[in-house]
Amino acid sequence: MGLRKNRIRGPVAALLAAVLGVGLLSGCGPKSSAVTELGATGGTKVEGGTATMALPPAATPNWIFPIGAPGYLATYNSSIQNLLYPLLFNPEQKGDKLSMESPGNLADGMPVYSDGNKEVTVKLKKGYDWSDGKPVTASDVEFWFDLIRANKKDWGGYSPGLLPDNVKSFDVLDAHTFRLRLDRSYNPDWFTNNTLQYFKPLPEHAWNPDHEDPKKVFARLTAHGKQLSKFATDPLWKTIAGPWRIERWTTNGEVSLVPNKKYSGPDKPHLDRVVFKPFTTADSEFNVLRAGGVDYGYIPPSVMAQSKKFKEMGYRIDPWEGWAITYIVLNFNSPTAGPMLRQLYIRQALQHLIDQKEISKVVWQGSAAPTRGPVPASLLPKDPYPFDPAAAKQLLTDHGWVMRDGVMRCAQPGEGDGQCGKGIKKGQRLKLELLSQSGSTETSNTMQVMKSAMSKVGIDFEIRQQPLNTVLGTTVPCKETDAACKSWQMGFFGSQGSWYFPPAPSGETLFATNAPSNMGNWSDPKTDQLVKATEYSGDPAAMREYAQYVADQVPVLWTPNPAYQVSVIRNDLRGVGQNPTLSLAPQDWYFVKKGGEGK
Amino acid sequence: MTAAAVEATQPEAAVATPSLARRTLSVFARNKLALLGAVLLVGLIAFCFLGPLIHHTDQVHTDLSQANLAPGSAGHPLGTTDLGYDMLGRLMYGGQTSLEVGLAAGLLATLFGTVYGAVAGYFGGWVDAAMMRITDAALAIPALFLLVVVAAIITPSKPVLILIIASVAWLSPARLIRGEALALRSRDYIHAMRLMGGGGSRAVFQHIVPNAIGTVIVNATFQIADAILYVAYLSFLGLSIPPPAADWGSMLSSGITYTQVGYWWLIFPPGIAIVLVVAAFNFIGDGLRDAFDVRLQKN
Repeated sequence: MGLRKNRIRGPVAALLAAVLGVGLLSGCGPKSSAVTELGATGGTKVEGGTATMALPPAATPNWIFPIGAPGYLATYNSSIQNLLYPLLFNPEQKGDKLSMESPGNLADGMPVYSDGNKEVTVKLKKGYDWSDGKPVTASDVEFWFDLIRANKKDWGGYSPGLLPDNVKSFDVLDAHTFRLRLDRSYNPDWFTNNTLQYFKPLPEHAWNPDHEDPKKVFARLTAHGKQLSKFATDPLWKTIAGPWRIERWTTNGEVSLVPNKKYSGPDKPHLDRVVFKPFTTADSEFNVLRAGGVDYGYIPPSVMAQSKKFKEMGYRIDPWEGWAITYIVLNFNSPTAGPMLRQLYIRQALQHLIDQKEISKVVWQGSAAPTRGPVPASLLPKDPYPFDPAAAKQLLTDHGWVMRDGVMRCAQPGEGDGQCGKGIKKGQRLKLELLSQSGSTETSNTMQVMKSAMSKVGIDFEIRQQPLNTVLGTTVPCKETDAACKSWQMGFFGSQGSWYFPPAPSGETLFATNAPSNMGNWSDPKTDQLVKATEYSGDPAAMREYAQYVADQVPVLWTPNPAYQVSVIRNDLRGVGQNPTLSLAPQDWYFVKKGGEGK
Repeated sequence: MTAAAVEATQPEAAVATPSLARRTLSVFARNKLALLGAVLLVGLIAFCFLGPLIHHTDQVHTDLSQANLAPGSAGHPLGTTDLGYDMLGRLMYGGQTSLEVGLAAGLLATLFGTVYGAVAGYFGGWVDAAMMRITDAALAIPALFLLVVVAAIITPSKPVLILIIASVAWLSPARLIRGEALALRSRDYIHAMRLMGGGGSRAVFQHIVPNAIGTVIVNATFQIADAILYVAYLSFLGLSIPPPAADWGSMLSSGITYTQVGYWWLIFPPGIAIVLVVAAFNFIGDGLRDAFDVRLQKN
């Protein structure tokens, strides 16, 4: 009898409980009193209150020093740093574009370019003070610049040839003005958007009172920046210029900020406190959200169909769309797939087989939008390769491929017209393998839909799912002879978007030859030339030309670009703007009266 | 396992075989739960393997225009999945994988565990000590942890899944049969065989294993049930055979995503199917255990 009890009670009972539990969950969730939806702004403002925001799954803020070290560049770190140490320029969405003209800027107006765009002068707003009463000056910005120039290889944002390499000199003209001498003429828009976006003042008088060597100061500050348990108590981090100061920063990543009472800017916080709460998984966040434990959280896209339920619970749903694109990386140096992926007609055929509209609508429940090319979709007029399986098949058959046993095989090898192309052998199967991140139902379903479409035209498309870190560690730039290059053909890591742009969506780090994030080893002289034009030329057509050419070349497969997150925000929490660059401004948040009472 | 099969593996009882088989069957038939288990199992096997011959569906290509249709929609009695697969057809298709992998892994684990345990128990001494310490050490590692690690390293396919599940499931039958072998090795017929010059392999394969066959068969049913659950566990954790292949665990896992939306037809059918097949094997196992119990046969 012992055998029977052990065997039946354990697994069967557990499964029965699981199945019944799921049923209960689906029908019997907690219900809170209905709150009238008032929208994202308006209502009678109530000063004070605590707002709790859920951090992304497994995100634990762990870096406070406002110069991000490699490995500490996560958005949640920089978002919190910028609330304490504000930037000179902040990107803001204006229509379909991002503008650096924000009222929250420390800079006074836009930078002024001179000497054929080889010099740029920036003015700081007057009247901004550090929390210890000392004024914020141009020398504080120079202090930041000296630190990154002397320690550029230890700065996570460094790309060779870009900041600080492209600045020959930094001159302080007066207490609130500085001028940069550049190594050549630059496109002013590009330089403001993609270089000046990093600039920020740091409190030199508090961090380097003895004017030590920048290398020595950097090492000292970095050492302090690694002491996670002391972030809230270390006197170093108490001299700030932003609207918030740290109240609590736990080693598990929970961060509590309270208003900096000495903040001299115009956008003073309305709340008493803002708490950033970490979660190990999306499920745990979802459970806390349902229980009312966070004011600003997120839900899986699959739950969007149940938005009414959340509205009844007193929340509004607002997908947070990033300034991003999403794609499948193609490894052009793969010894097996490289010869096929190097053929433009094969890339075009593959692109024609991705039904981005339907995938965005059905799989992502409308929380994703098609990617059209190397820039956010709003900047490209149309999709160059819409879903069209017949066109895909035609492209293959026109180039010497024939279907045999349900799979396309090369029947006409060679490099001429109507032939398969260089490096493709006679009888070779059109077989490709995708290494895709696991853990997202939407991603998994997207890949299944693609596999299904490809199998209909005879492309054998294998999907191998691995955890995100494995995919990121595998899909790295490589040479054809490297062993690492044999381990992957195509890679996908875009469940929350593959690439978030700086305000100017240029391709110098993405599609230029040997660019640091050119994972698939794309190398094309015309792309390089067009990328350079976006950096150097002031002609607004340069970006359009670059975007259209790269979209047509399909150096990666464009896939639906999901929202950064599907946000769920309490109705009585207002002023929440979801910046496409993922920056935060909780100083703008406030509660409104609910049923005659404030929170 | 049928009575005929049992009969064939009991060489020692050749003379009494017909009546033993009848008695075994009779005891099994008196156990109503065991009969229910057998009926359930036959029904589920017929549903999974013969059902697709009647209910034709495409389980390879997705159809987003048909996604998430409720049960009763035209041509989809059980509705459709989030990718537009017909749910009833997918239940059959997924059941094939769950049953095939579960059966194969359970039988492989039982086969290996039986031989391993019989060898350890028969030879005894340092051989037994060494073999059993290996078993104890392997048992100390949580099976689910081991499965998750292995399945994360290797891309699962049907044969791979069978091997990795069997590699952790053989420990229990090994210990069980080793106990049987320890008791059987001192029987007179084993001594007689030795005196006549019989070797170790003859003792293990022709005497120990056949005489422990009742325990082996009963254990095999539980091993199969457990293996089906292991498939479900792994699939639920996202470590299943890559799509478009399906099994009940992965169907349940993807259905759970829609818990909040109320798409119950994505959750209950695979969940209930897993419960039914596991319960069926357990009921059959219990029935067989009673059927092989000599005391019950006498009554």
